[in-house]
Amino acid sequence: MNSLKLKPKQKQRSPGNVFSGSKGINLASKGEKYLWSMGGALIIGLIMIAAFLLLILVNGLKTFYPGPVHRVTLTDNRVIAGEPFRREKISQDQTLETSREDTCSAWRTLYKTGNFDLYNKDFRWVDEQDIKQISEPKDIFYIERTEWGPFIGYIHELNLNHETFFFSRERLSQLKKEHKAAQARRNILKDLKKKEMGSINHELDNLRLSLKRVELDHGKDSVRYKTTLDSLSAKRKKLEENYGEIADKIEIIIKKDAKYSVVLKDVSGIEKRVNISDIIRFYPANNLTLSQKTGIYISRWIEFLTAEPREANIEGGVMPAIFGTFAMTLLMVIIVAPLGVMASLYLKEYAKQGKLVSMVRICVNNLAGVPSIVYGAFGLGFFAYCVGTTVDRIFFPEYLPNPVYGTGGILWAALTLALLTLPVVIVATEEALAAVPQSLREGSLACGASKWQTIKNIVLPNALPGIMTGLILAMARGAGEVAPLMLVGVVKLAPDLPVDTIFPFIHPERSFMHLGFHIFDVGFQSRNAEAGKPMVFVTTLLLISLIGLMNAFAIHIRSRMKKKYSVGQ
Amino acid sequence: MKKNITSSPQSATSGRKKTTSRFVILADRLADRIITIGGILVIFVVLGIMVFLVKETYPLFVGGIETDTHNYSVPRPDSEILTMGLDDNKTMACILLKNGLVRIFHAKTGGPLPPPILSFKNKISSFGGSIDQNHIAFGFADGTVRTAQVKFESQVIALENLPQNLKKLDERDSTDGLSVFSQIPGNQYRKVTFKITTQDPVKVSPNDNAIIALDYRIGGETEKKTQVFAAVDKDQNIILSKIKSRVNLLTGKKRATVKTISLPKLPDNLQVHSVLLTEKADMVLVADKNGTVYRFNTHNFKSPFLAETTRLLSSDNQLTTIGFLAGEQSLVVGGTDSSLDIYFFIHNETGETSDGKNLVKARSYNAGRSSVTEFTPVQRGKSFAVARKNGDASVIHATSEKTLLDFSIGKNIKSAGIALTPRVDGFLTICDNGTVILKEFLAPHPEITFSTIFEKVWYEGYPEPTYTWQSSAGSDDYEPKLSLIPLIFGSVKAAFYSLLFAVPIAILGAIYTSEFLGVKTKNIVKPTMEMMASIPSVVLGFIAALILAPLVETWIAAVLVTFVVVPVFLVIGSLLWQLLPQHIALQLDGTPKIMLIALTVVAALFAAENFGRLFEQLFFSGNFKAWVNHDIGDGRGLLFLMAMPLSMTFTSLFMFGYLRNFLARLTSGFTQVQAAIFDIVKLLFIAVIAAFISFGIAWIADILGLDARNGILGAYVQRNTLIVGFAMGFAVIPIIYTIAEDALTAVPNHLRAASLGCGATPWQTAIWIVMPTAASGIFSAIMIGMGRAVGETMIVVMAAGNTPLLDWNIFNGLRALSATIAVELPEAVKEGTLYRVLFLAGLVLFAITFVINTIAELVRLKYRKQTAML
Repeated sequence: MNSLKLKPKQKQRSPGNVFSGSKGINLASKGEKYLWSMGGALIIGLIMIAAFLLLILVNGLKTFYPGPVHRVTLTDNRVIAGEPFRREKISQDQTLETSREDTCSAWRTLYKTGNFDLYNKDFRWVDEQDIKQISEPKDIFYIERTEWGPFIGYIHELNLNHETFFFSRERLSQLKKEHKAAQARRNILKDLKKKEMGSINHELDNLRLSLKRVELDHGKDSVRYKTTLDSLSAKRKKLEENYGEIADKIEIIIKKDAKYSVVLKDVSGIEKRVNISDIIRFYPANNLTLSQKTGIYISRWIEFLTAEPREANIEGGVMPAIFGTFAMTLLMVIIVAPLGVMASLYLKEYAKQGKLVSMVRICVNNLAGVPSIVYGAFGLGFFAYCVGTTVDRIFFPEYLPNPVYGTGGILWAALTLALLTLPVVIVATEEALAAVPQSLREGSLACGASKWQTIKNIVLPNALPGIMTGLILAMARGAGEVAPLMLVGVVKLAPDLPVDTIFPFIHPERSFMHLGFHIFDVGFQSRNAEAGKPMVFVTTLLLISLIGLMNAFAIHIRSRMKKKYSVGQ
Repeated sequence: MKKNITSSPQSATSGRKKTTSRFVILADRLADRIITIGGILVIFVVLGIMVFLVKETYPLFVGGIETDTHNYSVPRPDSEILTMGLDDNKTMACILLKNGLVRIFHAKTGGPLPPPILSFKNKISSFGGSIDQNHIAFGFADGTVRTAQVKFESQVIALENLPQNLKKLDERDSTDGLSVFSQIPGNQYRKVTFKITTQDPVKVSPNDNAIIALDYRIGGETEKKTQVFAAVDKDQNIILSKIKSRVNLLTGKKRATVKTISLPKLPDNLQVHSVLLTEKADMVLVADKNGTVYRFNTHNFKSPFLAETTRLLSSDNQLTTIGFLAGEQSLVVGGTDSSLDIYFFIHNETGETSDGKNLVKARSYNAGRSSVTEFTPVQRGKSFAVARKNGDASVIHATSEKTLLDFSIGKNIKSAGIALTPRVDGFLTICDNGTVILKEFLAPHPEITFSTIFEKVWYEGYPEPTYTWQSSAGSDDYEPKLSLIPLIFGSVKAAFYSLLFAVPIAILGAIYTSEFLGVKTKNIVKPTMEMMASIPSVVLGFIAALILAPLVETWIAAVLVTFVVVPVFLVIGSLLWQLLPQHIALQLDGTPKIMLIALTVVAALFAAENFGRLFEQLFFSGNFKAWVNHDIGDGRGLLFLMAMPLSMTFTSLFMFGYLRNFLARLTSGFTQVQAAIFDIVKLLFIAVIAAFISFGIAWIADILGLDARNGILGAYVQRNTLIVGFAMGFAVIPIIYTIAEDALTAVPNHLRAASLGCGATPWQTAIWIVMPTAASGIFSAIMIGMGRAVGETMIVVMAAGNTPLLDWNIFNGLRALSATIAVELPEAVKEGTLYRVLFLAGLVLFAITFVINTIAELVRLKYRKQTAML
């Protein structure tokens, strides 16, 4: 009504804009300037998103592509070698610092020099004025190692089982063969360390805990305690023997590894001995065909997606983080789906529509806007500290004072995010329920179906796409949230996955890794922000595509649902 | 599904029984119950978050709670009490008397325990000791001083090692005659033993005069201990002695060197009440009985000087008590006028004192009660206990002024000594008649009151009361400063600047999308903008902090000039567009037009990059960062820029106001192209005039001393509010845009049709018809965006620098509520003070967003009703 009144007001004003009594053109009435500023605002918004996505996409996709390695001779005759990483115009401030005159067209390049163990840094800025010569030697190698990051330089000699050869191109295939063997050894070693030793450690721990449990239940003087102690010490002895055997095996492999090594040499001639087993990948950076490059690119992606992180998360893969994100999101959906659907069924189908329900609805809408960190604080205080410690006291007294459920874990994280996304699901489900035509319900009821039968067979199936959309949107939101997770169980490096081969296979109390937190951790807490950046970009690309995929799926379902109803009505 | 529907009429017609199957009824009822109960429960659980937050923060505001009182009598103290001690677990109490005797008894029952014998040859004439009373010193009538170490040794032993034949003291404690054994959980016992070890006497007074006042501190490491005491002898000689003892690592022998100096003489009529010394031995205070305090600066041990003489009491009053609080930064002073004040040592360079420090009264605890006779500080923290002349005793936290315990020993019964446990949970007093009262109480958060969180607090070492957030630091004596005001300010600042950036883009973009874009373009544009909403904020934070922040820092001038160049280019673009003949303009309307606008914006961005240097030269003396840091230049350049839009508006209003008729006559016969050219001329004219006006304004403002650098601009730091605002824009723009666009689209089409039919242009329709109708929806969109901006966490954690400041400087960082919770809560001790304060921060955040969202929701509902009527 109000706005209808506005119309005469507008008429009163319009003589101000249209020049009275004139036939001439009135440009002000078209508001072209304002139209352009509005359009400009929209364009800025679109440019922002496009630039953002492009930045992520370009940086994320190019990271794993093997670039050429430059051998740069500087004007002071020092030589460096590195992958050109980034090039930028030297800004005014930096030129002020270096007090240069010819500022206008000064550029500098950031080289990834690697060899952190030799230089104590991975990257180096080189002003282009200082460069005397750049070459791309064919025999320079890019060597990825398990420690200290990549090595960029020449392969000088091979030490294979006490025999020493100078490296030449003919030896490359031999080195590749040895590398394959060494990698196989490394995998065995990893299995021995992680699986076998891990399970023995786990069993030893269990023995200690079960003894403590008996002590707590029956006391130290009881007969039960003594018999358990005897039987356990026998078991422990056996386990310790096993442990010794495995340790011996490991020792043998390590000794063998030490026999196969290469001596590397950087461009300035510093030598460095590296075990072949510590090399992950090596390639002559300037002597690759396109297919070889693609092969390296793909193998790096595979490593990224399937391996565990190395070097404080800035190298290796993100498999545990992917797994953690998936497991947590899945658990969250399992929790939030029934709760959200139940609550909205109550609000829509059962509750009397009155003031109270509309107030509740306002509250629920409101809760969707409550900051996620508040949910995180609640999750920590209520789930981990309140519920968790109670659970620990009742079910796991033998672990005390170490918490089991009394600290952050994947279950609490999923519950917290379930609460966080509950309003989203309730709102979406309610909308979906409201979209089911009343006539369908009435028809069903008129045919004699009970209320529950109507809901189960008519309302829910019809509302399902809408509910699914809500759930998927909730999943997308949950997968992207980091702040609350920082409080309820996400860690930078989880020793074990929440699901593994040790009984009871699913460990909802374990802390976990998360792609979003991985970004935060690597971007902010790595030894060198520059070294972590490529990894962060790739992780970001992965996370965004994951969330984008979920959103696209939700939108797809929504549009299909719309079509269905536009036909149905 | 179909089967089900069709089956029921079948069963009805075929003559089978018409009753509904019991299973169906049961299932229906069950579903009814489960959904109702479950639904209500879910809603309650969600609402329970607030209840839980309140529950977690409530204990902060509760005072001390008395849990237990023990009342008994011991033999009356037959001499003046020098000091009292009570161990951590309230098992044992000790009293040191002036006649050289020690008394020990069980703290809860008064059961006597055999005391150690101190065999002093001389009469004790004075006494002093460290704040924790573990290191004490006796001054004797013959001018010597003996130091001693007092300790309650506590040790946990297993049941097996418990000695036989223990005498029971109460249900928990028993004794073997020397130590007290208390049962603790896990079948273990705690053994508490009192130990006192005295050292050989040291001669202090040069003339062997009696020491009348003494204070003693011990510092340094265990291998290299430094013992210091300040003493006043009968002849008013003030002596400062340092004993350095070193243990030879090879021989294990101790070697002590004594250095003694005399401080400058004080007036002869001095009546020494007491002398105080700091642990670093850089200050000695001598207090006269009339309340005058002489402060010596002994920072340089060889050349001490009298730095300040000040009277801390009003005239006619006598000093009743004086002492340091833990940390030795505040001085507690009590007088016969029943005053109880705290003085800080404040740096001020006014030259009143010779070392630039001043004793300033910071707080008064004058409850109009009786004068304080006994005072004891707690070892750690800022709590202290007092006993008053009228028999009242209380435990108070100095900073928060929270009363932790308050009770009356008995009407006008004078306390002879008081003791406080280190954990501030037990208070023991002994009266002249031998009555002992032990109060056990709980005060888990003594430092927090409503006013320490939301009002200015004067902390030690600060020149004035401030809002400060500083939750942790290295040293033990450190007092956490937990004011939420800087954090709330940080959240508001971040939200304000990000909305300043986001609202115009989102709202203008939404209007354009809904009113001026074709359906096809809109179907691409809108989902694209919505996609922005699904970018995780951690990604935005990363990009903002690690990519954008360094980039903007390098190209700050170019970034700033963008805010000028883009609007200017758009205006130029629109002016050129007007030059197009009508039929071509109509043909190009829609997608080609938006493409042209996009081109203009891109061109503007490129131009901005190149104009950066020039812009910097023109307005900011060539270097923006130096300029904004007050290093170079004056404020005129920016003042000019800021005055420009204002004076442009003013000038054009003037032209429309006074010259309208003239202009109308002038342009009456113009064709479209002519009008367009005239428009350009007009705008140029306005711009030139406005430039002159702005220059004048800037010049005058500069003379008046106005400078934007003192307010919204200031020193540049890399991670600043500009970056936060930009990154948060990504998070907020899509929300505001989507809701506003929905609101605009929901305006019924017949309104538009009517307006256009009456001859209004699309622009007039949009601005005078659609906008007012959708105003409430747009408002609610902004509110919801604001709610999101206030609570956004990862962006502010990563890009805001996290410094708790209280200024509006856009180039400075901030610390938001949400970021503080995210960063500090994982490390906060469960149920500790910081933990609860952070929950309070969460509650505040919850409340802010709840209010904002509720307003938005109510406005939206009203709007919905309104549009439904149209």
